[in-house]
Amino acid sequence: MSVERLKEALLDGDQNRAVLEAKLVRDAGVPSETIVTEAIEKAMEQLGAKCTVEQFNLLEIMLVGRAVTAVMKWLFPEGAPPAAVKGAAVLASLEGDVHDLGKNIVKTVLIAKGIGVIDCGKDCSLHKLIETAEREKAQFICISGLITSIVPQVRRVRELCMSRGLQRIRIVAGGAALKQSTAENLNVDYVAENAFDGARYIAEILEA
Amino acid sequence: MPLLTVHGARIPFQPGLSLRDILDGTDYRVRAGCSGTGACGLCLVRIEQGMVGEPTQVEKLHLDQASLEEGLRLACQVIPSEDLRITIVSGAPLPGWKRPVRSHVKEYGFVDRKDLPAGVEHPLGIAVDLGTTFIGLSLWDFTSGRCVTGRQGVNPQTGHGSDVMTRLLCACESDQKARTLREQAFEAIGEALQDISLREGINPHEIVRMVLVGNTAMLTLLGGTNHELLLKPRYWTIPIDSPVEYLQRWPAQHGIHLSGSVWVVPSLAGFVGSDLLAGVLSTELTEKGNGALLIDFGTNTEMALWDGKSLWVTSAAGGPAFEGSGIGCGMPAEKGAIFRISLDKSRFAFDVVDGAAPLGLCGSGLVDLLAILVRSGWLDETGRFLPTIDPGGFVLSTDHPGIVLTKKDVDTIQRAKAAIATGVRILMAEAGLGRKELKRLYVGGTFGQWLDVANAQEIGLLPDIEATSISLCGNTALAGCEDLLMSPSCVKRLEGIRACAKVVDLSAHVGFQDSFIENLYLRRMRMR
Repeated sequence: MSVERLKEALLDGDQNRAVLEAKLVRDAGVPSETIVTEAIEKAMEQLGAKCTVEQFNLLEIMLVGRAVTAVMKWLFPEGAPPAAVKGAAVLASLEGDVHDLGKNIVKTVLIAKGIGVIDCGKDCSLHKLIETAEREKAQFICISGLITSIVPQVRRVRELCMSRGLQRIRIVAGGAALKQSTAENLNVDYVAENAFDGARYIAEILEA
Repeated sequence: MPLLTVHGARIPFQPGLSLRDILDGTDYRVRAGCSGTGACGLCLVRIEQGMVGEPTQVEKLHLDQASLEEGLRLACQVIPSEDLRITIVSGAPLPGWKRPVRSHVKEYGFVDRKDLPAGVEHPLGIAVDLGTTFIGLSLWDFTSGRCVTGRQGVNPQTGHGSDVMTRLLCACESDQKARTLREQAFEAIGEALQDISLREGINPHEIVRMVLVGNTAMLTLLGGTNHELLLKPRYWTIPIDSPVEYLQRWPAQHGIHLSGSVWVVPSLAGFVGSDLLAGVLSTELTEKGNGALLIDFGTNTEMALWDGKSLWVTSAAGGPAFEGSGIGCGMPAEKGAIFRISLDKSRFAFDVVDGAAPLGLCGSGLVDLLAILVRSGWLDETGRFLPTIDPGGFVLSTDHPGIVLTKKDVDTIQRAKAAIATGVRILMAEAGLGRKELKRLYVGGTFGQWLDVANAQEIGLLPDIEATSISLCGNTALAGCEDLLMSPSCVKRLEGIRACAKVVDLSAHVGFQDSFIENLYLRRMRMR
């Protein structure tokens, strides 16, 4: 099965081979949407399962991410069609945190799951984050944090959402600095063990 | 009061305190790299007898099920209420000051003494490098222009965080905490001076000048103010004052000459300290032609590139992997550390510090091992072990089954090296220099002492230039501090260096992520 070969190329992090396999699969008549669900989502699931037992290192994850992004770009050069996108999640690393590798991994995983992503970048102020969430009618706010100095900011997100009447937004936190805390402690809805765990949580809510 | 039994000693304790807090008040201290939040996971103890609560969330993060079943716990998380017997698994390094052996120490010959206080028959000076992990000092004789003695010891602030960020956060918690950190650095320097004067019969009243360099975080913590600014990225590339207002009380408190001068050399920007400037000075980076690069390895690796007009400086937060920290089998370059490894047919041969039984690998040993593993195909460029290698990790020698290099360790080293290599690449790009225009490379930091340059180049930790153009310089910060202490012309030169420095913020650079990924590979550094 060539969908299987595409999945393997993705998991090997081989960008060129993955795009090539994707072309072969689509030339064989498989629709783009099926490629996403059968190859990309499956590859990400496998990666997620292995990540938790530390079988993948950062480079491997980044390479898979890169390959997935390349295939998605090839499949949807104009960006994914609105029908294929579920939900909307706003992503950011907060003010003072300039590390965005982790956030970018989350972004790739969410896109691969067909979830709409609005990226607020790194060193993002709470003001900008909430504004964006309001403007984009987001259902999720995802905060990735590598340094513990941002914890007080994370704790304020809920109250700021409330003050704008955005009480239905779910707040997800993750990253080295945040995953040591509990959801109650951070005043968020969910603390993700890693990018895949966070994406799983979001997908489950969207499906419910 | 309930009793805590540790290594035969019986210590009464107040219920409510954590094991770490109890032990900190005794001679049986545990290793620590954070302020007791559980973030570092270093304070391992084994519960031998007695009841304690269930493991906390944080403990489950650091310890697997098998370890927990064996009774391993984090001392900061366990709050005992009844009699308990424990074993400390990782003890704190012994306090105390050592006299380091240094290979190349300069001599200054005649020193102009007209600025020194009059009436001192035999004036002496002290240079201090206030490092994140270590504090280094050297005592100088203004009459002969020679170094008299030196000391190196652990910065006691490490107990409040082994990395700069944790320590800054700790100081931001309260004025009390900030004061504690300030006093710790101040007192450590005093202790070192006392150790010198007691053991080597030096009269501290003859010390008439003291010069101190350090990274910006250490300087603000020493000053007790402005450390909170360093948590904000916009301050990283601009100067931060670190006034040490209580300098006046140093001479009296440290017992040095009362009219003696104390100069804390100001840093250049939030992440470029006066330690790097001192390194630029001591390596004469800007004096011997264009295309010279200094990489000063440390917990934060700082680097400077001279292109003939500007000095491009930056800092790469690579973490302390090359100091052996954060690596399962890693350790500092102390007794018992494997510092050199070679492969003879299929047998590993290694050298151990002080010829002791091997306990782990220090930075240079890790570099050797990685290069050998990649060269022999046991590890691929991506950091994956051959399928035939035990998933638990690579065991260096069956005689020492405890020394295991895991995939996670390799990943940590890959990240540290990628941060540094990305720094080099971005500095080169900013300066518009190509690979061929890089003429000289200076490697600073104790890590360089035993570094095998060819191995470091093979895994892409150092740029590929002729081995003869690379100098391993040891502590360049302390050497530069000595220049400032002993030579007025160097003080003038420092001002020139400041004037042409350009601070580069790696994280703000568009090419950062791509370059970082590219440099995660365990292969030679690719440069334009």
